[in-house]
Amino acid sequence: MTRTRRSGSPSRSRDAPAAWLFLAPSLAGVTAFLVLPILVVIWLSLNKWDLLAPMTFVGVDNWIDVLTTPTLGHSMLITVTFVVMVIPMQTALGLLMALLLSRGLPGSGLLRVIYVIPWVCAPLALGVVWKWIFAPYGGALNAVLGGNVEWLSNPDLALPVVAAVSIWSQVGYVTLFFVAGLAGIPPQITEAAAIDGAGPWQSLWRVQLPLLGPTLFFVLVTGVISSFQAFDQIYALTPNGGPQGATDVIATRIYFQAFGGAFDIGRASVMAIVLFIVLIIVTVLQQRFFAKRVVYDLS
Amino acid sequence: MTSPDPRPDRSLPVPPAWERARRRLPSTIVVYVVLLAGALLTLAPFVLSLMTALKTTGQFASTPALSLPNPVTGDNFARLFAEHGFTSPIAVTAQVVAVVLVGQLFFSILAAFAFARLEFIGRDVVFWIYLATMMVPQVVTVIPLYVMFTEIGLRNTFWALILPFMFGSPYAVFLLREYFRGIPEDLVAAARIDGASTWQILWLIIVPLSRPIIATLTVITVVTHWNNFMWPLIITTGPDWQVITVATAALQGQYNANWTLVMAATTLAMAPLLILFAAFQRTIVNSISLTGFK
Repeated sequence: MTRTRRSGSPSRSRDAPAAWLFLAPSLAGVTAFLVLPILVVIWLSLNKWDLLAPMTFVGVDNWIDVLTTPTLGHSMLITVTFVVMVIPMQTALGLLMALLLSRGLPGSGLLRVIYVIPWVCAPLALGVVWKWIFAPYGGALNAVLGGNVEWLSNPDLALPVVAAVSIWSQVGYVTLFFVAGLAGIPPQITEAAAIDGAGPWQSLWRVQLPLLGPTLFFVLVTGVISSFQAFDQIYALTPNGGPQGATDVIATRIYFQAFGGAFDIGRASVMAIVLFIVLIIVTVLQQRFFAKRVVYDLS
Repeated sequence: MTSPDPRPDRSLPVPPAWERARRRLPSTIVVYVVLLAGALLTLAPFVLSLMTALKTTGQFASTPALSLPNPVTGDNFARLFAEHGFTSPIAVTAQVVAVVLVGQLFFSILAAFAFARLEFIGRDVVFWIYLATMMVPQVVTVIPLYVMFTEIGLRNTFWALILPFMFGSPYAVFLLREYFRGIPEDLVAAARIDGASTWQILWLIIVPLSRPIIATLTVITVVTHWNNFMWPLIITTGPDWQVITVATAALQGQYNANWTLVMAATTLAMAPLLILFAAFQRTIVNSISLTGFK
C-alpha cells in the first residue's frame, strides 16, 4: 500500500491513539474468546475435572490415557473416512453442476439459486429432516423403496448415510464457487483450445481445471476443515456416536466426552487440542500441495 | 499462458453448422435432465417435511409418507406454540442475531479500518494474530469457554449467547480490511484536507463505499447465528434461553416418533431464513461467491 502524506506530519504518532481505540473492542473480544480459551484448554487438559468436584492437577495423565486408549484413534479414523467420503464426491458433483450451469441454458440462474437453499438452513434442522426421511417406519425413503431398511441404526450404513446428507447440504455451495471460477476464465482461452482441436474432455482437464486452481484450492481447504469439524448434522442423525460408534466423529466424541454424560473435561480437552493440531497439519499440507500446482494469475 | 498441445492428428474435423445444432440437441436434453434432477433432489426434503408438518398424527400413521396432506392442518404448528413454548426460542434467537449482527459489524468495521487505513506500531503483529485465530475450530474453544462462563456466573444467560460473538470476528475483520484497502487513498486524503476527522472519514466515506462487503457480512452473520447450535446447546440448560436449533433438537429427542410435530419444528426453524433468502436471493448468492476470493 502506498500512502501519500503531507510532509512533516508524524504519521505514526497521529494515528496510533485512534487506531488502538478503534481496535480495542475487537481485540478484547479476540483475546478473551479466541486466544485465552487456547491457554485455558491446555490447562484443562492437565487436570482431572467432572464439572462438579474440585479440579485436580494430574499432569500429562490425560494425554497418556487418551493417546494409549483406542477411543481417539477410532474417532480420528471415522472422521478421516467421513472426510474421504464427502470431499471428493462433493467437489466432483459441484464441478459437474457448475459446468452444466455455465452453459448458460435458460433457467440456469434460477437453478443456481435453488441449489444454494440448503446453505441457508440450519444444519441441525436439516439433520432432523433427514432423520425422518431415513426413519425405518414412516420415513420417506423407505416409503419410496418399499422396505424397512434401518438406515441409521445399521453400523455399515450409518456413516455413508451421514456422509450423503453432508454432501447433499454442501454441493450447492460448492457449485456456486465453481460457477464463479468458471465465469472468471476468459472465453477466448476455451475458444482457442477448441480451435486448436481440444474436445470437451481435453478442454476440461487441460484448460479449465488448471485455471480453476484457486477455486479448487479454496473449495477443498474450506471443505476439509469444515468436514473435520462436522457436528450439527451428525448429532441430529445419530446421537451418541451412532450404532456401535460407527459415526463417532471427533467433534461429537469431544462433545459427549465433555458434556454428554461422561463430564470428562480433561480428556475432552486433550482430544480438542489433538484435533486442532491435526487441522493445522492438514491445512499446511494442502497449502504445500497446491502451492506447486496452482496457476494463480490469468493476466 | 501455455497454449494447449494442438495434437493435429487427434483432432476432429469441424462439422458443419446444421450438424452441430443437431448434435447439440440430445446433449442439451441430458444437461437439463441432470440439472432438474439436482433441483428436485435439493427441494424434495423441504417439500416432504412441510407436507408432513401439515398432516394430523392419525393421517401420518394411516397414509403413505409421500401422500399429500388432506385435509391440511395447522395443528402441529399451533401445538408447538401452545404446548411446547416455541415462542421463546424464536424470540431469543432473533434477539441474539440482532445483537450479534450489530455488534459484529460495528466493531469489525472499526478494527478493519485501523488495520487498513491507520498506521501504528504493532499493526502487522496484531493482524497476524487475527489471521491465526481464524484457524481455531469452534469445538476447541467451546470447552474452555464453557468453563470460563461458568466461573464468572454467566452460564445459561443471554450474555453467554452473545458475548463470544458480538465484538467482531477475525474473519469479518479480514474481509473488511481487504475491501477497505481497495478504496482509493485519494478520496481519504481529499477528505482530510477538507478537515474531516478520522471518525468522519470512516463513516461518511469508507463505509458507504463498502456496501457490497457489508451486505455479504450481514448475510453470513445472520445465517451463522440463526443456525448456531453447538455453543447454545452447551451453554444453556432448560427452556429459558433455548435458541431455535436447540429447541428443535430437544423436541426431536423427546418426541422421537411424532414426526408431524417434529417436522413442524424444523419448518419453523428454517422458515425465517428461507423467506429472507427468497426476498434477497440475488444479494445472498452474490455474497457467497464474494467470500471465496481475495
